[in-house]
Parts: sequence; C-alpha cells; structure tokens
Amino acid sequence: MDYDPMVMDDAEALGPVVKISQADSVRVKYELSNADIAFANSLRRVMLAEIPTIAIDLVEIEENSSVLADEFIAHRLGLIPLNAEGVESLLYGRDCDCDGFCEHCSVRLTLHAKCTGDENMHVFARDLVPTGERVNQVLGTPVLSDAEGLGPLILKLRPGQEIKLECIARKGIAKEHAKWAPSAAIGFEYDPHNKLHHLDLWYESDPKTEWPPSEYAAWEEPPQEGEPFDYDAVPNRFYFNVESAGNLSPDTIVSEGIKVLQQKLAGLIHELADEGGNSMNGDYNGPRSPEYGTGADGFGGYTTPFGNAGNQSSWGGAGGTTPYGTTPYGAGQSSWP
Amino acid sequence: MSRARSKKEESAEIESDIAMEEAPTSHQPEDEMSVDQNEDEDAGDVEDDEDEEEEEEEGQRVRLLPGSTPTAASFEFLNEGHTLGNALRYIIMRNPDVEFCAYAIPHPSEAKMNVRIQTFECTTAIQALEKGLRDLQELCDVVSEKFIDARQKFAENSS
Repeated sequence: MDYDPMVMDDAEALGPVVKISQADSVRVKYELSNADIAFANSLRRVMLAEIPTIAIDLVEIEENSSVLADEFIAHRLGLIPLNAEGVESLLYGRDCDCDGFCEHCSVRLTLHAKCTGDENMHVFARDLVPTGERVNQVLGTPVLSDAEGLGPLILKLRPGQEIKLECIARKGIAKEHAKWAPSAAIGFEYDPHNKLHHLDLWYESDPKTEWPPSEYAAWEEPPQEGEPFDYDAVPNRFYFNVESAGNLSPDTIVSEGIKVLQQKLAGLIHELADEGGNSMNGDYNGPRSPEYGTGADGFGGYTTPFGNAGNQSSWGGAGGTTPYGTTPYGAGQSSWP
Repeated sequence: MSRARSKKEESAEIESDIAMEEAPTSHQPEDEMSVDQNEDEDAGDVEDDEDEEEEEEEGQRVRLLPGSTPTAASFEFLNEGHTLGNALRYIIMRNPDVEFCAYAIPHPSEAKMNVRIQTFECTTAIQALEKGLRDLQELCDVVSEKFIDARQKFAENSS
C-alpha cells in the first residue's frame, strides 16, 4: 500500500511532556506539550465534569423559622464543598442495595442552630456536623479553607429564630449537577501570541496594544515581523490551571481525571471484546439491514443481500464471491478473517 | 430518624392539612415500609418486560450501525460526547492503517455519539476502533506518569 506515514519530528517521538510551573494546595499550573488538542481538551472536559465527589443531595428540614425558604436553604447546602477524600469507596446511590440511602452510599450531616443572644447569629458550614457511620473519618466533612475555619456562610438568624435539619450527602459527578464539580475553575490556554489565528481579536486601532499579553506569552517565541502565516501549524503546548474547590487536592483532580478517562475506555474495550463476536457482527451487521440489498446504496450488482447462494456467512469466507468484492477498495480477496 | 418522626407526628395531629404521604418514600416512617414493599413488588411484576428492554439498551453502549462493511463502519456510542469522541477520532486517525475517521453528535439532546471508521484492506474497522481505544489508554498512562513525575520533581525543587 502506498501510504505516507504521518510526519513525526524528533520532539514528537518523545511523547507528551508535562511541566509544572506552580503547585500548592489550591491550584496546580502545568504545561502539557507534544500532545494533541483533542486529547488536551478531553482531559479538560473530564476534569471539569466527570470526577466523582460528594455533595448534599437530600435535606430534611425539621424546623426553619429563619427568613429564608426551605428550598432556598437546601440549594445553598447542596453547593457547600464537602471533603471527597476516599469517595471511591463510597457507592453511588443507584448502585447500592439499600432503599434510599445507607452508610455505604451516603454521609449524614446535621445542622441545629438557634439564636438565643441579642444579636443576629451567623450559621456557617462549620456548624454542619457529620453523624453516624462513615466510610472514613474525613469523607463528607465541610471544607473550611478560610483563616477562621468557619467555611461558607449558610444563613443568618434573628434572635429567637431556629434552624434544624438533616442532610444526606451522596456521590455524584458534575455532569449531573455542578455541585459535584471538584474544580472551582480550569484554565485552558494555548498559542498565547495567536499565531494560529484561532482567535479573531476585536480592536479599536491596534490589537497588540489593546490586548494584554497572556502570562504564558514569554514562554513562546513571539511572531517575527512580517512572518508569513503557517497554515500547517497545529497547537502543541497547552497551559492548564486547575483550581480546586477544596474537596479534592488539585493533584488528585488531574490524576482522577485521567483515571476517569481510562475507566471510560476500559469499559468500552471490555464491551467490544465481549460482544465483538456476536451482537456486533450479528444483529447490526450491515448486509442484514433491509436497505442494504436493494441496490439503493449504490453497490448494486447482486440480487441477494447475502451474496451467492450457499455462502452462508455474510462476513465473507468465500472471497471474491461476496458482495464486498465490488467495493471500491476491494481487490476482491478480503484479507480479514 | 425517630426524633424526626415524633416531631412530624405531633405536627400532623395539630395541623391536619399537612399530609405525611408527601414525604419521599425513603423518609417515610418504617412501620409503613411493609405496605410500601408490597406495592413495589406488585408494580415490579407488571413492569418486568419494560425493565428488561431498558436494561438491554443500557447494557450495550456501543453498536455497529446498519450499512456497515468490514472496512468501512459507523459505530454508535451511548452516553458519550466530545470528551471521548474527539480524542478517539484523533488517535484512530493516527493509525496508518486507517483511511478515514470522524465523529459526530447527530443531535445535541440525544446522548449519542457516532464514529465513522474507514480502513485499508489490511485491517477492519472494529480492529481499528479497538486499537484506538487501547492507544488512547496508553496515552493516558503516559500522561498520568509524566504528571506524577513532574509533580514530584516540582516538590523536590521547591523544598
């Protein structure tokens, strides 16, 4: 076969490269190079929406004399980041044998506050207390990342007002509801000088002076004066900025993201291996579809969809006598089993 | 929960317009459970056929679309999107035995993703798909490894 293998320069032969420029408990900034934009974007999407975490999903309000409506408070509770360390040992609610929820698929939190003083009282995420059995001692605890260790403000109470409720936190992913998002934000950037012209920058008189340079502009060679546009160029260096919401560490978000992507692939490979022999080739086989034998698809030239009489297998076997012999690619003999 | 129940019962006695049945089944007091279960079982018998059909549909997440030939096939993936589609398209296209590969999401409100693969005679579309999935898995392994290495080096340098 006359085929020109894809051009591979030396750098590409090395494979993907990761370079970290900043990493702490809140964010990790890294550069992924020698990778394709398709893969980089898959990684971004999976980190954004498909990493399992834990969030409050059910709220039973026993007493609420605050000024906020029950459902308003329930929504606020759902958005509070909970520590998701060890969430992999928690079951999804739908996979659990229990009726509703149990300690294998949920974490129970309670909140009880009454304003007994003369001044308004603030109720913080700190006041949400995990109760009952848990998979481990940190899973489901509200994230308290501020200096005072209070966590987000849930509501305020006037003297005499009371709030008493019980929450069920469940495992989930951000594709279902954004409250399960592990990342506060993911920065994704490439081509800081816009050499590829993927961006059409709006400007008054000169885009160079009106648009501030990216923080990665110094990392890449600026375009030369009068440089011709390289229409073969593809993005190659991707700058990620993964910011955690506190429920998972930024490093964990990246590792988990890749893991989720791999699990997705493993599931499909497994299914392909399982069903490759029967339903894939049987039920949905092209030649058995009603429209295939009509000649309407342009192949024509034969009367039965299964080729010559006696040739029971629609997958060939008799070589050139099958309908496949007439395909534009065919030399007649198909080389596949 | 017992605490919650007694509170509710009290309030129900006082204000008869609050219906206990409105609470979700999971929050109903346990003594009602036996009744609930019976109802569930009865309902289950009737819906058995429907359930089986649904399971079959959910069980198979990838299928070959009609009109496919061994070297030119379209696959339909359920519950997949651009996350898998674009990366898979890229990695399959890198395979020198593949003549053409593209993906599409025919309609945004259907959770379906289609992949078209056309190969040269030396392989089949199904083999190319499987190779693509494995290659992508390998790529993930490499990137994961590189990230962990880079993170360790960064921690060593900064300390």
